[in-house]
Amino acid sequence: MTNGLVLAIIGAALAALLAGIGSAKGVSLVGEAASGVVSVDPSKFSKVLVLELLPGTQGLYGLIAAMFILLRTGVLGGSAAELTVQQGLGFLAASLPIAVVGLISGIMQGRTAAAGVSITAKKPDHNGKAIIMAAMVETYAILALLISVLMILNIAV
Amino acid sequence: MSNTKYADAVGAVRAMENTLLTKNDIDQLINSRSKAEITSIISSRSGSSGNDTLSDVWNMLREYAPECKELEILLYKNDFHNLKAVLKAIISNRDPKQYYIEPSNVELSTLVDAINSKEYTELPDYLQNTAAEAYELITQTLDGQLSDSLIDTSALKAIQKSADDLGNSFMQNYAELLIVCADIKTAYRCCLLGKSAQFMENALCGSREIDKEQLIKAALSGTDSLFSFLEGTSYSNAAALLKESAAKYEKWCDDAVMELAESARMQAFGSEPLAAYFIAKEAEIKNLRILTVCKEFGADKETMMERMRKLYV
Repeated sequence: MTNGLVLAIIGAALAALLAGIGSAKGVSLVGEAASGVVSVDPSKFSKVLVLELLPGTQGLYGLIAAMFILLRTGVLGGSAAELTVQQGLGFLAASLPIAVVGLISGIMQGRTAAAGVSITAKKPDHNGKAIIMAAMVETYAILALLISVLMILNIAV
Repeated sequence: MSNTKYADAVGAVRAMENTLLTKNDIDQLINSRSKAEITSIISSRSGSSGNDTLSDVWNMLREYAPECKELEILLYKNDFHNLKAVLKAIISNRDPKQYYIEPSNVELSTLVDAINSKEYTELPDYLQNTAAEAYELITQTLDGQLSDSLIDTSALKAIQKSADDLGNSFMQNYAELLIVCADIKTAYRCCLLGKSAQFMENALCGSREIDKEQLIKAALSGTDSLFSFLEGTSYSNAAALLKESAAKYEKWCDDAVMELAESARMQAFGSEPLAAYFIAKEAEIKNLRILTVCKEFGADKETMMERMRKLYV
C-alpha cells in the first residue's frame, strides 16, 4: 500500500466520520426534543419524526463521498491503485468539503429542527414551515457533497 | 452544541402549553353559571378536572429536568414562607403542617428537625443563616412581624444571589422584578405606618433599578414624596396603581412577571421556557382561585375581569 493510498483512505474515513458525527449529534438533539413532545402527546410522533430524520442526511452524504473515494481508488474492488502522494492528497482534499460542512451543518440542522419541534408541538398545522426552515440548512451539505464528488471523480488515477 | 440544554423538557412543555387556559376560556369561565359548567370548560381545555396542583406541575418539570438549578429558585419564596410557618408553629406549639405550602425545595420534616435541633446545616445554604437569625429573633423578641420582615427580605436576597451565581439573565430579571415590586410595596406600607429609617433599611432589599437610600428617604417624607420619587422611575405606572389600590398593584406585579415569562416563549432550549411554564401555571391556578372566590361572593363580571391576571397564551 502506497502513502498516496493511505492518504486517500484517510480522506474517505474523514468524510464518513465527521459527517456521521454531525448527523448523530443533530439527530440526537431533535430526538430529545421530539421525545419530550411525544411523551405528552403521542399523536405527534409522525410529524416530529420527519424533523428528526432531516439532520441524518449528512451522514449519508459522508458515506456517499467515502464510497466514491473507495471505488475510485479500487479499494472496494480488491485491486487498490498505486497512488502517488499528490493523488492521495487530492482525494484527502476532496473529502474535506463534505467532512467539515457535514459535521457543522448536521449539528446546526439539528438545532433548527429541534426548535421546529416546538412549532409542531404548539401549532401542528404549521409543521411544514418547521420542515422548510430546517431543510434550508441542508442546501449547504448538498453543495459540499457536490463539490466533493466532482473533485473525487476528476482526480486522475 | 452549546445552549441546547433541556431540549426534551422544552418539547414537552411546548406540547403542554396547548392545555393552558386562553383568554376565551377565561371569558367563558367568567360567564359560566354553575360549577359543572366551570369543570366542563377546564376539562375541555386540559383534559383533566382542573384539579392539577402546582406540585403536580413542579413534579412533572423535575422529571424532565431534575438537575435544573434555575427552577429551584422559583420555589425559594415557598421555602422561606415555610420557614416562617415552622418558626411560628414551633413557638406557639402548633402543627406546622397546616401552614406548610407545596411545592417546596425543603421537606417539612427537614425544616422542623433543623430548627428543633438548631442543626441549620441540614438546610440548603440559602436558608441556613436566615433560619438561625430568625429563630434567635423570634425567641428573643417574640415579635413575629420582625422575623417575618427578616425572612421576606432574605428570601429576595437569596433569589437574587442564586440568579447572579447561575448567571442566568432570565432569572436575574425575575429576581429584580420581585425585589422592585416588594420594595415599593414595603416602602409604601412603612410610609403609612410611620416606620423608622432603620426598620426600612432592614425591610427593603435594594435593587439595581431603584436606589434603596433614595426610596427610604422618599418614604420617610410621606406618601406624596414617595409617589413623586417613583414617578421618576420606570415603575411610575405601578406606583400610580398602588396609589389607587393594593389589589391593582398586586395584579400589575403578577402581570409584569408574566410579561417576563413571555420573553421565553421564543426560546427553543434552556431553562427559561420551563420556568416560564411554571410561572404560567402559577398564574392560571391563581386566576382560577380568584374566579372561584369571586363567584362564591357573587362578584360582578367586571370585577372578575379586572382581577384576572395576564395569561401566557
